[in-house]
Amino acid sequence: MTSGCLARMVSSDVKHNFLIHYLAAAAVLLITPVIFGLAELDRSMAALPLETMPPLMGLILLTPLFSPEQNEGILDTVRSKKTSRQLVIGMRVLCALAVLAILIAALGGYMKYNSCEVTLGMCAGAFAGAAALGALGFFSSALTDNVIVGYMVSVMYFFMDLFLKNKLGRFCLMSMSCNIKGSKPVLAVTAVVLIAAAMLFRRVFRNEQ
Amino acid sequence: MGNNIIIRNMNKFYGKKQALFDIDLTIEQGMFGLLGRNGAGKTTLMKTLAALHRKKDGEVIICGIPVEKAKKIRSMTGYLPQDFSMYPNMRTDEALDYLGALSGIPSKERKQRVESLLKKVNLTEHRRKKVKELSGGMKRRLGIAQALLHDPKVIIVDEPTAGLDPEERIRFRNLLCEVAENRIVILSTHIVGDVESTCENIAIMDEGRILWKGTVRELLENARGHIYTANIEKQYMSQIKKEYIVTGMVTQADYTTVRLVSDAEPDLPNAVLTEPDLEGAYMYCLHSNGCNVKGGEE
Amino acid sequence: MLFRLECKKILRSAAFLIYCVISVLFFATNYYSDCKGGVYLGEGTKIVEDHDLIMHGALNSLMGEYASNKYVCYPFGYYKAVHLKDKDQQKIEGYLKEMTGTDDKQFEELLASGEKYYLGMPDKPEYGFGDIKMTDGFSYDRFLEIMADTDDMLGGGSDYAPESLTALFSQVAMNEEELEDEYKTFIEDDKVTGGLARLFCDYNGIVLAILPVFVAAWLTANDRKRRMHELIYTRDISSAKLVLTRYAALVSTMFIPIVLEMIIALVQAVVEYKGESLDMTVMFTLPTFWLLPNLLFTTAAGVLITEVFSAPTAIFVQVIIWFKATINGSRMLSGQIGRFDLICRHNSPVDRSTFLMNQDNFIFSRIFWTVISLVLIALAVYAYDAKRGGRFNDIRLFGKDGLLRRKA
Repeated sequence: MTSGCLARMVSSDVKHNFLIHYLAAAAVLLITPVIFGLAELDRSMAALPLETMPPLMGLILLTPLFSPEQNEGILDTVRSKKTSRQLVIGMRVLCALAVLAILIAALGGYMKYNSCEVTLGMCAGAFAGAAALGALGFFSSALTDNVIVGYMVSVMYFFMDLFLKNKLGRFCLMSMSCNIKGSKPVLAVTAVVLIAAAMLFRRVFRNEQ
Repeated sequence: MGNNIIIRNMNKFYGKKQALFDIDLTIEQGMFGLLGRNGAGKTTLMKTLAALHRKKDGEVIICGIPVEKAKKIRSMTGYLPQDFSMYPNMRTDEALDYLGALSGIPSKERKQRVESLLKKVNLTEHRRKKVKELSGGMKRRLGIAQALLHDPKVIIVDEPTAGLDPEERIRFRNLLCEVAENRIVILSTHIVGDVESTCENIAIMDEGRILWKGTVRELLENARGHIYTANIEKQYMSQIKKEYIVTGMVTQADYTTVRLVSDAEPDLPNAVLTEPDLEGAYMYCLHSNGCNVKGGEE
Repeated sequence: MLFRLECKKILRSAAFLIYCVISVLFFATNYYSDCKGGVYLGEGTKIVEDHDLIMHGALNSLMGEYASNKYVCYPFGYYKAVHLKDKDQQKIEGYLKEMTGTDDKQFEELLASGEKYYLGMPDKPEYGFGDIKMTDGFSYDRFLEIMADTDDMLGGGSDYAPESLTALFSQVAMNEEELEDEYKTFIEDDKVTGGLARLFCDYNGIVLAILPVFVAAWLTANDRKRRMHELIYTRDISSAKLVLTRYAALVSTMFIPIVLEMIIALVQAVVEYKGESLDMTVMFTLPTFWLLPNLLFTTAAGVLITEVFSAPTAIFVQVIIWFKATINGSRMLSGQIGRFDLICRHNSPVDRSTFLMNQDNFIFSRIFWTVISLVLIALAVYAYDAKRGGRFNDIRLFGKDGLLRRKA
């Protein structure tokens, strides 16, 4: 597998299958200052936009990664190629996470520029929460082979989190705002586990090698 | 490393339901036809050879490589699925380029191959069209082009001509014959005409089993003495269809000339023994293997 | 027959199963757990329409925010601190002087009397006031004009929005007698279940304004996904019959878990309030009237947008609608029901009088959203029929001859 092939795969994939999702996630970033005041926020107030909008970005970026091949004809065609499906999906996941990281860094940077008490740790925490929610959607759509179910599970988890907050304990996405300690590492691990489990499931039960 | 496909005692299950029973085949270089009715198990067999399905047991060796080594198998097989499709918003040349990248072909080589394949399948002037804008025939041609991209040793085409017009069908068959030089091409179809014009060796499948394998000549020989023609008056046609396996009909002014399959000479006044054609031979094969054949019955 | 088949299809789907799980989970973690052991009746505050109280509270709050030049707003339900430019600050100063009847010197003295404190940022002090008085005889109408203009300058969502003033600035604690009356109303007038039914509807209304869109989008997109749409297009059945039957099947099946929850809520009430005389029907009648429009609208919107665009678009749009609808009700969880509120909030088993005060708005909103739902589903029928007849075949947004392609 040459790097040229990998680059071509990724660029084609992004251009034709996921560009609209990247743009939608960027749109979420752009409306954040409209919804929230992002100037002169102390630590606990700054945590709120960082824990509300990035999970939506994660959901938009990670949930639909299996959807281009929902048509069986396309799936069989790409599956019959030398490049393993796991590699293709893995590249999609990495690209989505990279875009997510860039968007969160931009948000954190903007807030810092506007004299908010934002730290790198808070941005990392926001990334962990966003990745976890996105991974939940990714996992659900992998299991059911249905992107709508993926969106459903992740969107509803997000809203349950808004209402239940500390009842979710360490799985609460708003742990920085609610002062729940030790939640972000748990969310980061959850994201990794869910992504790995989804890919393993597809490999073992759908023979997507 | 042999240039053939060896399948020995292969079984395949979908859950508890067995789809393939004790498949035994050796496929040599050239065009190989796999004939069978809908639901015979052809697609299941094709997908197993393309390493898209896993067999339960038995042995499948493709050019010396066991089918379990999926990555190696995929690097030397080209597969055109029955329901071939690509991402609808990709341009034709972009789709080939993407699939070429998935096949691990370096950039410069890929560009050349895409150009030459578009020319070979007559899609050069449509290269900038999106996949969703291509007609059925064009899509199939794109399908065969993508199967040839990485110059595979084995090409598996599953029902490639279903839904194509006669001209497209002939063009497709000619293309396959061209590519079959120095390769193994397995053509899976239920259209006898496809096999007749392109394949020397064939196998016939039904209900997950291989009923017959050999050359076309042997299949025809098998049916010798069992294919008849007769002129039947129109009012007796429905009765004839019930009693015999009718494989062809030509309607004349007052009567219909029928071609039928029968174990013994039919009890008809003007039935004449005829040279078997492949369609008749195929139907006879199914019939003689106990399959419930309803050729022409209303 | 078709209705039964569509219901069967929905009941067997993963989307519906997850809908039921989430619905029940939400019910269990909110309403059911809140009512376990007897529901908490609240802080014991009431809203009084006391203009003097309202003006006093608003004036002191505005004074404090002016002095800090930090106006806390919730335009989308989330905290947003607005800092005004000099020109706007001067305008606010003018209003404050008008309301306090002070000249420049007196106003400066008033400002100096504020309590200084630090909240969050150590170098940015804020100020609080509690004793500033309105000038005698100041007109309430003029006060409302000033508040409306102030809210506009702040971009909306401030404490000075005229519709929020009563709820924010005229809450007083109830005395013992009033608390007892409130409890008596809950037991005797509401017969317990009346109050609990309002709380039930408050929680479920939130869920039913978003969750059904997933099942609706799934069913509508399913034909296209399975490449069955052309087979169905060529059938005899009219577009209206097909779309309306599917809509009815969606609404009926998705209401089943809600009905089951109503039954569980009633049983819980019977157990928790043994010995009290309960209204056994209100736990069914009120939620049906309250919640059905939410379900009807969300389902209809899901069907229409999926049919015209796609399932992800329908989900995206409904999330925005839901978000906006929850924000509308988030400042006051009970006591304010707007005429156009999709989600009617009343997060309290008591406060019957406030609910009755808003009854007209409530009834209007339920009818309004039902009518909107019917309009949307009629549009969905039209869209389906147009697609079926190939009327959208030549329409493109982008590319050559696209609608959005810029003309040279």
